[in-house]
Amino acid sequence: MPNWTPKTTSPVLTQRIPCWPFADPKGRRTIPLDEYTRTGGYTALRKAVETLTPEQVTEEVKKSVLRGRGGAGFPTGLKWTFLPKPDADGEGGVRYLAVNADESEPATFKDRLLMDFDPHLMLEGIALCCYACRIQTAYIYIRGEYHHQAMVLEKAIREAYAAGIFGTQGLLNGARTRNRDRAWAVECHVHRGAGAYICGEETGLLESLEGKRGWPRNKPPFPAIKGLFGRPTIINNVETLAHLPFIIGQGADAFMQQGCESTFKGAPPSYGTKLMGVSGHVNRPGCYECDLGIPLKVLIESKDYCNGMRNGKRFKGAIAGGISMGVLGPDQMDAEMDFDIGRKYNVLGLGTACPTVFDQDTDMVAVARNIARFFKHESCGQCTPCREGSGWLYQLMTRIEDGQGRTKDLDLALEIATSMGAMPGTTICGLADGNNWAIRTIMNKYRDEFEARVKPTFVPVKLSVGAGAR
Amino acid sequence: MPWITKPSGTMKVARRNEPYLTPEIRAGLERDILPRYEKKQGALLPTLHAVQHRWGWLPWQALEEIAAFLGLSPAEVWDTASFYEEYWLQPKGSTLIAVCRSIACECRDHTKVTEACKARLGIDVGDTTDDGKFTLVEVECLGSCDTAPVALFNHTLHENLTPEGVSKLIDGAAAGEHHH
Ligand SMILES: Cc1cc2nc3c(=O)[nH]c(=O)nc-3n(C[C@H](O)[C@H](O)[C@H](O)COP(=O)(O)O)c2cc1C
Ligand code: SF4
Ligand code: FES
Repeated sequence: MPNWTPKTTSPVLTQRIPCWPFADPKGRRTIPLDEYTRTGGYTALRKAVETLTPEQVTEEVKKSVLRGRGGAGFPTGLKWTFLPKPDADGEGGVRYLAVNADESEPATFKDRLLMDFDPHLMLEGIALCCYACRIQTAYIYIRGEYHHQAMVLEKAIREAYAAGIFGTQGLLNGARTRNRDRAWAVECHVHRGAGAYICGEETGLLESLEGKRGWPRNKPPFPAIKGLFGRPTIINNVETLAHLPFIIGQGADAFMQQGCESTFKGAPPSYGTKLMGVSGHVNRPGCYECDLGIPLKVLIESKDYCNGMRNGKRFKGAIAGGISMGVLGPDQMDAEMDFDIGRKYNVLGLGTACPTVFDQDTDMVAVARNIARFFKHESCGQCTPCREGSGWLYQLMTRIEDGQGRTKDLDLALEIATSMGAMPGTTICGLADGNNWAIRTIMNKYRDEFEARVKPTFVPVKLSVGAGAR
Repeated sequence: MPWITKPSGTMKVARRNEPYLTPEIRAGLERDILPRYEKKQGALLPTLHAVQHRWGWLPWQALEEIAAFLGLSPAEVWDTASFYEEYWLQPKGSTLIAVCRSIACECRDHTKVTEACKARLGIDVGDTTDDGKFTLVEVECLGSCDTAPVALFNHTLHENLTPEGVSKLIDGAAAGEHHH
């Protein structure tokens, strides 16, 4: 196993949620407001509104180089500075925060953990963001399938209103803030989606919030200038916001002690911890809080994490972090799980940092077919390369899986994949590019399996992805 | 594939006198939901959810009522409602079984779970049983990949499913065990 020791010895995001490697996840329960406050909750918010100006909060987040946990890894503080400058009176007009709780990327299950068990952590993050960005209204866009989590959030929000955290009187019962010595009022609402992956894309999300079909918008204009209902809007992921209480409470320096630097000169670092949900053929699948930079091998093999491959099987590959990122091949188990992973290991990026691990018996053609089906099903249909390409790829993958493929199908599939999203501007959003990376990396890293399938002598045996699973 | 439109020229609209957007639903929305949004259309998804929650699906007449309620054209409501998989534009069974078919669940043999459902209910994926009690669908990742395979029974998530386990759940639901 690679020689790697965690830098973070006590949990940050999972302080109140028992979670490996810090605590046995037995007996998880939703933390109510009184317990949250008793254990240090909302002190970061108080510190912010009473001692820091909105600009100082933004500065601290910028300094921490907190990078978005929703998939793209964009620096959060920097994103906030794209909002129009407030006027001399510190007013910025109507602005919105849209919290991205859509979590629909296959293999991803981390935001759910935060919302299920410690909803106030995210709510405090929302309040901090709204104060820093001078936002009056936050919408939590939660995927429709998370019925239970939506209810948990509704309850937590009611608690927060009753305690004077949100509401017209101003944050923390109308506390005088360092924003020109007046109260800052924030409203917070849950908005349930209705089963469409594309609404996780930030502008698809905005359209859906406006009551329309979730069709992503062309950019520019970027949401920070013209977003929800045409107003300046910030979109941040649940986990990103859940980091804010720590960064403001303990300071950016404490945050920068966690995670890792980039190994590329001048490239931005990967500070902080990250929730990594591991699924697939491992002994102990689950959601772990790890320093960014943990090698996948440690995550899989260490007793503190997944405790090895199931049934002692060999590692064959892993989805890097949500299926859109592509796969890490058999020789890439050492990959460090940080924001450099894309440049180093020929995948799209870190994504949601939630790997699905495949053992030696996995049929990678079936994996490609499953993934191609997902994208075909979820393409919103606006852009021709994505709508048509995703359908063709699915057809090709099924044909190859069934042993009906021709040798030239391999090149055809690669050509279609490469034409989707690789050329900037041919598609509106990143879904097509995710489709491209997923299919292309599987085909390139397991080319022999695909070739064997299209040989005329190939006899289909109908292995499933889960062959020998139970 | 939400972009495949359905033929509407031959559509027959069933109508009734009693509104689907009942005075209670209306009042609840006017009190709690409408004030949240700068434009009324923002309340469309919550309104569709509320009406579907009451009736189990969204008949065309309901869409018309919602359009009038929010000051939209029926076409705008249809446009949105038809895009999202969770809105049912035809009746569904009282228990909706949604088996996850994405990658982590396929790794853990979700197909056996689906097959067990099909065998137990005697229907195919996408169909509803004749008694109107069950509808079976397959959906994409439900965000519980560590406990794969998983399925939703209406709003309740069931984890680490086995073919036997899911059959038992169906037995329970058929015997009237309530699934929210
Ligand atoms: C097709 C597609 C789907 C996405 N789905 C999600 C999602 O479910 N949750 C999420 O937080 N971000 C998702 N994103 C990323 C968002 O567009 C956006 O980058 C993110 O919410 C920004 O928040 P962050 O900076 O805090 O990460 C998706 C992006 C694309 C292109
Ligand atoms: S790339 Fe695909 S999903 Fe994205 S907007 Fe275009 S068609 Fe829709
Ligand atoms: S793949 Fe089935 S829950 Fe994620």
